[in-house]
Amino acid sequence: MATTLVTVSAIERKLAELRLSDGGSRLRTSVMTHIAWVPEEWVEAAEDVLAGLAERHPSRTIVLFPQSGGDGLEGDVEGESFPMSESLTICTDTIRIRLHGTSAEHPASVVEPLLVPDLPVFLRWRGVPPFGEPAFEELIGVADRLIVDSTEWPGLPKPYARLAEIFDRVAVSDIAWARTSRWRPMLASLWPSIGKVERIKVTGTEAQAQLLVGWLRSRLGRSIGLQHKRSNKLVGVELDGEPAPFPPGDPPLPADLLSDELDKLSRDPVYEAAVVAAVT
Amino acid sequence: MAIAEDQRLANPLVEGLQLTRRPEPCAMVIFGASGDLTKRKLFPALYSLAYRQLLPEKFGVVGVARTEETDDEFRERMKAAVQEFGRDDFRDDVWKWLADGMRYVAGTAEDGDDVFVNIDDTLTEFDRDRGTSGNRVYYLAVPPPAFETIVKGIGKHRSTQGWTRLIVEKPFGHDLESAQKLNTLLHKHFDESEIFRIDHYLGKETVQNMLALRFANGIFEPIWNRQFVDHIQITVAETIGIEGRADYYEHAGAIRDIFQNHLLQLIALTAMEPPIDFAADSVRNEKVKVLKSIHTPGPKHIVRGQYGRGYIEGQEVPGYREEQGVDPSSLTETFIAAKLFVDNWRWADTPIYIRAGKRLARRETTIAIEFKRAPHPPFEELAAEGLRPNVLLINIQPDEGVSLAIGAKVPGQGLQIRTVHMDFLYGGAFRTDLPEAYERLLVDCMRGDASLFTREDEVIEQWKLVDTIVAFWRRDRPSFPNYAAGTWGPPSSDELLKRDGRSWRRH
Repeated sequence: MATTLVTVSAIERKLAELRLSDGGSRLRTSVMTHIAWVPEEWVEAAEDVLAGLAERHPSRTIVLFPQSGGDGLEGDVEGESFPMSESLTICTDTIRIRLHGTSAEHPASVVEPLLVPDLPVFLRWRGVPPFGEPAFEELIGVADRLIVDSTEWPGLPKPYARLAEIFDRVAVSDIAWARTSRWRPMLASLWPSIGKVERIKVTGTEAQAQLLVGWLRSRLGRSIGLQHKRSNKLVGVELDGEPAPFPPGDPPLPADLLSDELDKLSRDPVYEAAVVAAVT
Repeated sequence: MAIAEDQRLANPLVEGLQLTRRPEPCAMVIFGASGDLTKRKLFPALYSLAYRQLLPEKFGVVGVARTEETDDEFRERMKAAVQEFGRDDFRDDVWKWLADGMRYVAGTAEDGDDVFVNIDDTLTEFDRDRGTSGNRVYYLAVPPPAFETIVKGIGKHRSTQGWTRLIVEKPFGHDLESAQKLNTLLHKHFDESEIFRIDHYLGKETVQNMLALRFANGIFEPIWNRQFVDHIQITVAETIGIEGRADYYEHAGAIRDIFQNHLLQLIALTAMEPPIDFAADSVRNEKVKVLKSIHTPGPKHIVRGQYGRGYIEGQEVPGYREEQGVDPSSLTETFIAAKLFVDNWRWADTPIYIRAGKRLARRETTIAIEFKRAPHPPFEELAAEGLRPNVLLINIQPDEGVSLAIGAKVPGQGLQIRTVHMDFLYGGAFRTDLPEAYERLLVDCMRGDASLFTREDEVIEQWKLVDTIVAFWRRDRPSFPNYAAGTWGPPSSDELLKRDGRSWRRH
């Protein structure tokens, strides 16, 4: 375990050192900075997803672990190289920082000096974001895109109302929405009969059910009833009591889902409308 | 092993040998020897030069300050400074060599001529015992009010043999009038070729590398103009506050602390025409032309700010007005942003956006050249949403380097384009430590090379611009503070670019 770095400038120095010490190329490419906000209860899940991510997105990853109590910060830096072929290596750095006291309330001042200049910043937020609180507000100010997974949110669809309020400030990706991506083309193929649907029944997560019905409501421009049967995967949709055909292909893996969202840069108006319609 | 300059030409054995070019013998006098600059920069630089055998073989240094101190106490204090701030390991033999030639003279302005007589005695002793040949470098590391007495004193006692050079630290005046007065004072006793006005930014490797980048590469210069460049952004951002220097900063503000010198010099180097050679006056002639062609910005094109409370590295920091020694209703600006135009054939209508300030979100000094977009990208609109214009970014600190943002295809189906970043870390390409700016500048002065020092006419042009801006500012009362510490300045700074459909680079 490397020594703990307690200031941002120490972390910066360590990053510079790592770059100079790797025997490889002095030239480096990166495509983004990826910030992950990981409260205590999400630590394990977050590490699993990150493990698959680095190879696909040469980037700098800053993982923030907010802690209650204490003061200051503790960070460590790790550089990783992934050999792609004989002559090509992808390098990433991962910075892990435990934030105590005021630094957990004002994380932007810790993160800003560490962003890779000029590149887009993605913010992955585990759990329901604390809308309106300084830490969250500051970080979406820094980010170009917020990535959430509303599957992780209790009490749906209520939190969608708060989410909709920030659409004008930051582009949002929802991994729960990505998890409906096989089903939406299949449902679209049922046009025009699906245009008359009155109510749907979704067997899947609460988020998938809410987003699918929101999507239909917003696209068709009218109210549609929802019945939800709990399952940890989206396994069935019924339209006015009739089961819809099962879409082809396999469901995507968690690292793929996050990775796909990292390729997107602009707002997704269809998703935004679905979120708004889910709460109405 | 070094061979004296005068023997080089006559000596046929020198050809092909790699010899260190050591400056001619000389003695250096530092006024302000008890100050911060001497401790943090000058002595660590002298030590590093001694370490690399870049100082003259015959050398001596006299520290002058108010404090009563013996030679030995002075040596001890500087030894500690070198150990704390130096970039090389501390070697006793190197230090002993340097310390043998160290003397201390205590004195204040009230002591009148006595101080200079004492200094002169020490220097004569150096000439006799250490062979410094009457060559002198005087370093004025003192606040401006002390300049006059010292300059007169040196002038009166200047050596009749060898050369004399005078290094003047910033601030060089506080407006056009005072700068002109200072120039007149200096010229009473020194020729312009003997005056070295230091701007340590110019001693930084990347700043000099800017010249190499532009004039040693055939691919950049042809596109370095209004036809290809959309605009230029120069940022000099610090996260630190005023670090207890309220006395100085209250009178200076960001405009005199950074804009007048460092920022305008960076603009000059970025925008100047190719000089015919790298002789001091060729480079400075070109720089002064740029400074002369900077169009005076209207009040709408200038933004000023002052920081209030905020967060740096997660810790709460006080606002400027709460800093010790600062007037609680102070109107001093700690941030300045401006849209400038260099009115000449090369740059007409190409805006140069600059910003500088304290307590900003991140420490960086960068010059970004943002090129125009490709005229007609033959890609679907969606596919190219991640595409930004090409940016050539010259990083001056913290990591000296150059990077280029280019659009590339995302692997896989279709033709999705996104911007990637090719990043060249300067220190990494050459297996050598970058010298500190002061090392370079001290040796340049000892060699008589003034290319990286500011000439009289440059200073005058710089102040003319500053004076006009300050005159606008006198007309209204800004509502300060207008930005929180740890942010990128007041909202009006963003609006300055937004009005033109542009935005500050992402950080």
